[in-house]
Amino acid sequence: MNDRQIQIVLDSFWPLFEAALKYTLPLAISSFAIGLLLAVLTALAQISGVRILKFIARAYVWIIRGTPLLVQLFIIFYGLPTIGIILPAFVAALIGFSLSVGAYGSEIVRSAIQSVPKGQWEAAYSIGMTRGQALRRVILPQAARVSVPPLANSFIGLVKDTSLASSITYIELFYKSQQVVARTYEALILYAEAAVIYLIFTSVLFVLQSYLEKRLGRSLSS
Amino acid sequence: MMLEIRNLHKAFGSLEVLKGIDVNLEKGKVLAIIGPSGSGKTTLLRCINLLEMPDQGTMKLSDRELDFQPGRKISSREVTELRKHTGMVFQSYNLFPHKNVMDNIMEGPVVVQKKDKAQAFKTAQALLEKVGLGDRGSYYPHQLSGGQQQRVGIARAMAMEPDVLLFDEPTSALDPELVGEVLRVIKQLALEGRTMVIVTHEMKFAADVADHVILMDGGHIIEQGPPEQVINHPQSARAQQFMNRISGEDI
Repeated sequence: MNDRQIQIVLDSFWPLFEAALKYTLPLAISSFAIGLLLAVLTALAQISGVRILKFIARAYVWIIRGTPLLVQLFIIFYGLPTIGIILPAFVAALIGFSLSVGAYGSEIVRSAIQSVPKGQWEAAYSIGMTRGQALRRVILPQAARVSVPPLANSFIGLVKDTSLASSITYIELFYKSQQVVARTYEALILYAEAAVIYLIFTSVLFVLQSYLEKRLGRSLSS
Repeated sequence: MMLEIRNLHKAFGSLEVLKGIDVNLEKGKVLAIIGPSGSGKTTLLRCINLLEMPDQGTMKLSDRELDFQPGRKISSREVTELRKHTGMVFQSYNLFPHKNVMDNIMEGPVVVQKKDKAQAFKTAQALLEKVGLGDRGSYYPHQLSGGQQQRVGIARAMAMEPDVLLFDEPTSALDPELVGEVLRVIKQLALEGRTMVIVTHEMKFAADVADHVILMDGGHIIEQGPPEQVINHPQSARAQQFMNRISGEDI
């Protein structure tokens, strides 16, 4: 790299990093929180006995998992205005990512719930618990522990997926890096720099994930 | 009569597992149910606390009466209500792994029976001491041996102050050297006059503890009576066959 390129990297580092902190992370965190709630509700709907709930849950998961996230974002941001629903970029991105996390997450939560041994349900019932009490007090706490590793992976994936929000005009890390490239024409250096910033965030998250898994592992096995 | 079962039928799909079972059990007595695998003994036990729903027949537990008919659904409220008065001890203990021993025992009284926490704690501590684990309240299930976990399971079932205690092969999953400590606790409960139904393979134990024994095979009761009769001097041919086979394998 020549001096000019090095200068570009140094000058753009903080603006890009700041964009990640102010726009990428908040979008990821809030979409994940909403998506997780959706995932639990959808998983519960799928294991409930109520046929209409099961049907809606299954249809939702099928559609979201079967279509590209990018297409979903375009439908929400560019498609809805044609029928009068106009959403700001952040809101459209939030909705798109939440629905996605909800669908993929529901499969994680559902299999976590089903992995809890049947004997736990029976023990809960045998002391007179209702289905709701058994879920809340016995099953979900155990399912939660099992679902942490796949959900952590899901979150890390989401942080990277937020780069798609740039295509619906949400000005996060990747969008900003595209702006700098437009000014300086140094595509390789800038996109590599953006990649490094994503790598910093995901690496920190991977470390946090191992720490969390170790903490949880200790409390369940000798 | 604490427990009265009449003409109980249960099928899983096309497989009939209970073919018209009658049971009488007085308060304070111990009933042992023995028989080969597939005889229906575990299904019968699980019908008592409605973990399995009978297809047909009647069941009277204390002053609660239930009538089972094909197509007639028992409300989940009735089911839950009945279960609050029975306690079950499982072959694989089924303790709640995310709670410590004390919380396992207190869960029923506090969450289901809405008892005061301090009072529930005192009762739980007393039960723990009774099963010989008074100092293990803050331990987690995975830190205990199988025999200790089962004894916690017994304390947990008793914490609900049930009318009837149900034991589903309580020692079958235990290493032989741990079986004794669990049987001692169960024998103690019998001596205290608890009403109990025990499904077991431990013939000597059944003979020692039970007031009444039912031998099941193929969904029917093929012999019943006091242990001296059913286990030591069975009268029907099939019962004799079964006991011969068993005593051949008995250590």
